[in-house]
Amino acid sequence: MARSIAAAIVMIAVCAPLPAQWLHYPTAGVPTTPSGLPNLGAPAPRTGDGKPDFSGIWEAENILPCDPSRANCTDLRASPEVRNIAQGLPDGLPYQPWAADLVKARSAGIGKDWPHSRCIPLGVPEIHTVPEFKKIVQAPGLLLFLDEWNASYRQIFTDGRSLPVDPQPSWNGYSSGKWEGDTLVVETAGFRDGLWLDMKGDPMTDAAKVTERFRRLNYGNMEIEITVDDPKAYSKPWSIKLKQFIVLNTELLDYMCMENEKDTSHMIGK
Amino acid sequence: MKKRIVVAFAVIAVCAPLAVPLGAQWLDYPTAGVPKTPAGKPNLQAPAPRTADGKPDLSGIWDNNRRGTAPVVIAEGVFPLGASSVGWVDFGAGLPGGLPYQPWAADLVKQRKAEYGKDDPTSHCLPLGVPRLLVDPEYRKIVQVPGLVVILNERNAGYRQIFTDGRPLPEDPQPSWNGYSTGKWEGDTLVVQTNGLRDGMWLDRSGSPITAAAKLTERFRRVNYGTLEIEVTMDDPKAYTKPWTVKLNEFIVLNTELMDYICNENEKDITHLVGK
Repeated sequence: MARSIAAAIVMIAVCAPLPAQWLHYPTAGVPTTPSGLPNLGAPAPRTGDGKPDFSGIWEAENILPCDPSRANCTDLRASPEVRNIAQGLPDGLPYQPWAADLVKARSAGIGKDWPHSRCIPLGVPEIHTVPEFKKIVQAPGLLLFLDEWNASYRQIFTDGRSLPVDPQPSWNGYSSGKWEGDTLVVETAGFRDGLWLDMKGDPMTDAAKVTERFRRLNYGNMEIEITVDDPKAYSKPWSIKLKQFIVLNTELLDYMCMENEKDTSHMIGK
Repeated sequence: MKKRIVVAFAVIAVCAPLAVPLGAQWLDYPTAGVPKTPAGKPNLQAPAPRTADGKPDLSGIWDNNRRGTAPVVIAEGVFPLGASSVGWVDFGAGLPGGLPYQPWAADLVKQRKAEYGKDDPTSHCLPLGVPRLLVDPEYRKIVQVPGLVVILNERNAGYRQIFTDGRPLPEDPQPSWNGYSTGKWEGDTLVVQTNGLRDGMWLDRSGSPITAAAKLTERFRRVNYGTLEIEVTMDDPKAYTKPWTVKLNEFIVLNTELMDYICNENEKDITHLVGK
């Protein structure tokens, strides 16, 4: 009897982590250091065809506590770019005059019309700045972004198709990716007019072409260089660089913005 | 100048037939790897494709209703929906006697029908949930990779994950619209178990309820290239007197792509949903 209890205790010790919540479920295939910790500096994994594998759960850079000398430093676990996508650009964005006026008006409204606050999709590139986790699923010919926010997807085709001509405008646009060495270069067009790039209200129009250059620097880090070419809203193309960190031993938790939604009636600006 | 114009015309004439299918809308983009009949038509009866590990590959865009061929049965008191599948209107339409409601559930369905489904979550831009996302009239796409099957739904550009990496179902998870799904292969059938569904979901337009006690089993079988059969067994003792099973058919959709439908965009309907 004592023996079978001992056996039972061993079984529990061995099996306990398995039936737990998926929020603590161990990620498979994580490289480890000699001391058994995740080795985030290990080389990026690769798919069967030798290309870097971006698969994993990713989080936008949000180091806390943040540097108080930077603008938009708050305790909010979010990247500063979610408030201002041009956070890292010393000269700000090269607005067309109407766009500068619009941002001023939107800032005065304390972001009351921010689509994100109204349960409208994020769009590209805002998907990379919000605090919710994203999961990349890399399949042959297709890279999927699964976003906790509204449990929504974005497709990036890597099957060689060219961008569509005159497509139905949409929040995510139409994305086609090609490899340049170890960098996945994604071109996107066909955006809906009136997108917001951040909470501040930086606009993007239906003339926009967005280029994202995805690079998995190592196991734990991904860099996305984003170039927005939107001559209607900006006097010249501009680029930013975002960092994303791998998130281990957990799983996405769907967040449905419209569920029990009580906020929008209170968003009245100033 | 004239010569240049002629050259320009020649270039257009040569390139146009080539360029159109490639640079056209993705709504007309050709699906890769479709098996063909000797006459060059898609061979929908061809065997189901398989992944590298020899399992059936469920990947593809799937439609739950054969537009124009299957009669649409409209349950009494339910707003008719032209191109919707039978299951969208009444999940138990194929069962003799319908779904085995508990008395409170039968009353609730009656009331929901009488109110023209005004509180249907999907009418309020809330998620479809599982298993309703299988019968949504909008298309769905299955993406199958090692350890994971993802179902993308055009409605709200939504996803559902089915883990095939051997993990057990979570204990006492945060209730959610899609629940928590794990899949295991039994021969050529992917058997998917789901728990952790949110209380108060609607299974169909008639308002058949699902409670948090629900345990769901879906058996996915790609019968051939063109057909996916899904046997759905619902075990929800709170809402139903016994477990019940419904068989759904999904048909492959070729040469197109999903088109995101964002319910909450320019939403003007909700204030008009007042019932009787």
